Amino acid sequence: MILDLHTHSDASEDSRAPVETYMKWLVRKRDVLPIDGIVLTEHRQWDPQADYRQLEDKYGLLILRGAEVETDYGHVLVYGVNDDITSHFDFTNVRLSAQELIPAVARMGGVAVPCHPGRPTIGLCEHYEHKPPIEDVVAVEALNGGSRRGENERVQHLIERYGYHAVGGSDSHLVSFIGICATEFDDDIRSVEDLVHSLQRGRYRPLDFRDRLKKDA
Amino acid sequence: MPTRFEDVDVGHDLQTLSLTLSGEQVKSYAIAARMPGGRFMSDEEARKEGLPGQIVPGNMSLALFSRVIAESFPGATLKKLSATFRGLVHPARPFVVHGVVTEKHRTDHGDLVECDLVLESTEGDRWVTGTATVQFPPRG
Amino acid sequence: MALDFDRSIIGSEFDRTVFAPVTKEAVVEYASTSGEPARNDATAPPTFVLRLRGHRWMPENMPKNLGRAGFDAGKDIDFGVPVRIGDVLTAVSTVHDIYEKTGRTGSMAFVVLRTVVTNQRDEHVAIIDQKMMFR
Repeated sequence: MILDLHTHSDASEDSRAPVETYMKWLVRKRDVLPIDGIVLTEHRQWDPQADYRQLEDKYGLLILRGAEVETDYGHVLVYGVNDDITSHFDFTNVRLSAQELIPAVARMGGVAVPCHPGRPTIGLCEHYEHKPPIEDVVAVEALNGGSRRGENERVQHLIERYGYHAVGGSDSHLVSFIGICATEFDDDIRSVEDLVHSLQRGRYRPLDFRDRLKKDA
Repeated sequence: MPTRFEDVDVGHDLQTLSLTLSGEQVKSYAIAARMPGGRFMSDEEARKEGLPGQIVPGNMSLALFSRVIAESFPGATLKKLSATFRGLVHPARPFVVHGVVTEKHRTDHGDLVECDLVLESTEGDRWVTGTATVQFPPRG
Repeated sequence: MALDFDRSIIGSEFDRTVFAPVTKEAVVEYASTSGEPARNDATAPPTFVLRLRGHRWMPENMPKNLGRAGFDAGKDIDFGVPVRIGDVLTAVSTVHDIYEKTGRTGSMAFVVLRTVVTNQRDEHVAIIDQKMMFR
């Protein structure tokens, strides 16, 4: 099962990609991007009413939802968002405490994954140089489709030193970047609960489709 | 280049611009665009503002996006243009402007084509990303 | 602490400027330096609207705690009728939104300024949303 774990629709203020256009693109590009679904991880927000089941049925792709929040250790993807989590943490706050957030999300039934760890200022690697490591981190985003040269490579050291599992995601803000990086799961995933459970188990790996797309161009 | 809506396909690559702007070109644009900030005029003026060197105005990147659209779809009309400036663009460094058609639809407002646009270094660092909506002339 | 400011500034008009008629010289200069073509000799290239500079580019009562004015972070432009040589354009600017986020260069405040441009026939020429980054 291959999912793009890090995507932004036009609900995020810096994205211009409608969800349905993502779906059409993935169906069209199926031969080079064998993506089974995406997780929408909008910036600093959570809309409990958003519902994409009609689009899932129409395009035969899974659409799950999470969020990308901002902490004192950089940005973090939160999967398994529920009322407990949103009542404890204000997602619009750009100074959340990662030492509080990540263990608390785990206790409340979700999983929080630091994203683009190799990026300056908003990635974990830089913060680990002068702050203690965060408790209860199970995985980090080792492959981010929006990162610059060298940023993904910096994460390997983190993974080896702390034993973190590795995920991949496109960090797409434009339609044509959906699915360029993704995560391959050994488990079958049909729901957010399945996703959280799988992320905790660790049986997955990041995938990079960028070379495939260049050859297809 | 397609001039008819029917001839445009989703996934169609737009015309590519490969450019290296000189400092003089950037300065000339900034003056024509009534943007006389020191950062656009010279390396020395830009460093006074705490920048590593002269930078290309974001508006000039938008003009380059518009140019790619015009060259890709002669006769069509640009209806919307967006850009997010993700990194500084400097003169004397080669870059590429390219894009792709992501959607096409017939609406009450005409035949529209949606495009993604990217301005990136030759090493693939994306400095500016954006989108465009282009309207094709009515049939007949 | 979250960004704290008087939210009544959002939606407030801070500039209204009527410009001198668009000249052929200005259009030719803009087109030649940008490389952006116009549809014909009587009109300006689309991004010519970005050349309009009102009397004030920022409200007088901007919150002081946003930081130093920094960079243009992006724009969204909705185009109406093209700008024609001889047009007398009016630009009305308001504060559309203010929010905070963190990025590669640290914590930043973003101010979205909306400028609505019309011509002498009161036709819609452009709506320009400009994101200014402060830190």
